[in-house]
Amino acid sequence: MGDHLFPLHEVGSLAKPRWRTKGLRQPLTTSDLNEAEEWASRLGIVNYHDLAKEVLKNGPDRQRKLLQLSTLYGLRLFEKAGLDNDGVGGEQQRVEMYEHVIKNVEGMRFLGHVNSFDYKYFRKAVAEGAVDRSQPIYVQEFRDVQKLAHRAVKVPITGPYTLVDWSYNEYYQAKGTEGSSLKERKMSARRDFLLDLVEKVIRPEIRDLVEAGASWIQIDEPALTTHPERAELEMFVEAWNETVKGFNCKFSDHTCYPNEVGYRLLAEYTPELEKCSQLTLEFANRDSPELGIDGGAREGYQALRYFVDNGYDGEFGIGAIHVHDYTGVAPKQSGLVSGRDIIESPELVRDRVLYASKIVGDPAKIWVNPDCGLRTRTWDVALAKLTNLSKGTELARKEWA
Amino acid sequence: MSSPVQAQLSGLHARSESLIELTREYDRNRVPWEKVEDQLESETADLVKLQEKLGCEYQTDGALSWKDQLRPVVDSISGLAESTRYSRWFDTNTFYKKPIVNGTVALAKFDSGTFVKSNLLSKDRKWKVTLPGPYTLTELSENKHYSTQSELLREFASVLREIVLKLNSVGVKLFQLSEPSLVYWPYRETRPSTDDLEQGIDALRSVVEGVRAEFVVNTFFGDACPIFSSLQSLPVKAVGVDLYETNWETLPQEAREVGLLLGIVDSEESLVEQPKWLVDTASKVQGKLSCPSVILAPNTDLKFVPRGIADSKLSSLGEAARLLQEGLS
Repeated sequence: MGDHLFPLHEVGSLAKPRWRTKGLRQPLTTSDLNEAEEWASRLGIVNYHDLAKEVLKNGPDRQRKLLQLSTLYGLRLFEKAGLDNDGVGGEQQRVEMYEHVIKNVEGMRFLGHVNSFDYKYFRKAVAEGAVDRSQPIYVQEFRDVQKLAHRAVKVPITGPYTLVDWSYNEYYQAKGTEGSSLKERKMSARRDFLLDLVEKVIRPEIRDLVEAGASWIQIDEPALTTHPERAELEMFVEAWNETVKGFNCKFSDHTCYPNEVGYRLLAEYTPELEKCSQLTLEFANRDSPELGIDGGAREGYQALRYFVDNGYDGEFGIGAIHVHDYTGVAPKQSGLVSGRDIIESPELVRDRVLYASKIVGDPAKIWVNPDCGLRTRTWDVALAKLTNLSKGTELARKEWA
Repeated sequence: MSSPVQAQLSGLHARSESLIELTREYDRNRVPWEKVEDQLESETADLVKLQEKLGCEYQTDGALSWKDQLRPVVDSISGLAESTRYSRWFDTNTFYKKPIVNGTVALAKFDSGTFVKSNLLSKDRKWKVTLPGPYTLTELSENKHYSTQSELLREFASVLREIVLKLNSVGVKLFQLSEPSLVYWPYRETRPSTDDLEQGIDALRSVVEGVRAEFVVNTFFGDACPIFSSLQSLPVKAVGVDLYETNWETLPQEAREVGLLLGIVDSEESLVEQPKWLVDTASKVQGKLSCPSVILAPNTDLKFVPRGIADSKLSSLGEAARLLQEGLS
């Protein structure tokens, strides 16, 4: 990196291969292993048979070997697609971004599932005591990645604001907080919970990661734009600045899927984020599938202006491909729509990158990435999308040169 | 005659872990719908029994089958695009299918069973259904057909009135119209003007006026103070406020004939409010506002907490209402 414009990086999780998910619970069958072998061949994993033998052994470290193998696959998939920074291989060692952290936090207890919509649910925990990290959360994964990665590594972690927002808060509410109304007291308890989580859980984790050699930590805060209110943004800034204080490491924020005013309000506060070298944001989801580098075709990237106009002077990681179900249509030259997927064409990616560069005004500040993690897409689709992301970015480099 | 203090359930109740697992399995084509339906009926029956035990005069089925807070209404209306676009439900971590208006809206296919499981409700109690109010339905839709939002608002109000009349004809006596968009604005580029809000209230009036049923208009997720007095002009049984967003001490003190729905149980927190605290708080509010009647209720849908907690919160409401009634007698 640094030797070409528009470096590429991943943002979040990849789907877990069937052999990885099943293998954690039960022995693998020949058909599971055939699938793993086929992907090993596609991803150029030459010592597959030696690695598979380890996974098939019924030893005490079988599960760890399986997670390491899955991590290797994720890293090689990103590498094959042409990314410059392969993250931690698609978060193969994590159950899910919330649970993975909470299960390692004393004082938290899972209460059950809550309906999100239709027949989709999420698991929710409560703070019923003072929070404290019970053991390192991401360090083992990072050590594995260090051994396996051929390219640069960024460690995504779930941000404290999101962890608080997705949890119930009994302990800090019961502790007695300030405020004349129930709303003020609830808000005050939310802040206490957040700052405690930063101090007792997130900072110790970052300290361990940095000591282990992490040079870039991406703080994922998908909940940040859920509450587009000034008091919430102020609380987020306070927590962010406490989180990163004193660490010698690159930090970036990843936020996605805000409502209509989410980015506009967030943009006002981003200049106050200390050591926030990059904002990695979702844009493709809100963009049109038409080719072109004018504001009409690139409506989804207009929100970048808010950040520039408000004086944020760091890098931007721009989401240039969609990651969820695609229900629209697209002109032939913009991509291939099949079922619930769109494989964006390199030309569409190129135009998005060029337009974003035009708005930001300095192409050296532009990184290119998917909108968010590709975990809802199959590996075939993820690889095809990322490959075109890479090709499209190369077209943009040539165009800009 | 209704008691001046009651406990009532509102909106979507929580599904149990068993029902959650079954719906997930159904989603993965692993179990037939009949199995889900059996569990839905059994859990609805349990919820009805709980309301009976607590002495709730008005009974709901908990809307356990509703896929989101708008869905049965949206599925009954023509003039909306087929879409799988989901949007965030206010400031929660939950979502709803966004209605995309691309034609003239009208009530197209009405099936009362999608709104209320009347076969499972007690015949000797009054039935209550919670519906989105016209202003909120309009605000949460994308209008690609009507030239103004006001036009869409009027059309939605007309459709909602039809739905109310049809549900009333199958026995529903009380309708709670949810209007969070009248008080929660951060998702908008600009705050709604006074005219906008007045149109919202007029739309509510056009839904309820002349209908031989009772109505409650509930506000939540935002501060009801700015609009509370205007809502008092509606011909409704009660106006609702979310006590976790509205500082009741700042609500206007004025003579009123409309009752108060007090969103006193926090549907977004797991801590179960104790009946004594509910009684103390409700008494203070009632003392200040002198409402002719008070309905103790969750501030919004109890779907935001797991089922066991939702049931415990409902039980606390019932117990608090009983204690307050005893105090009055």
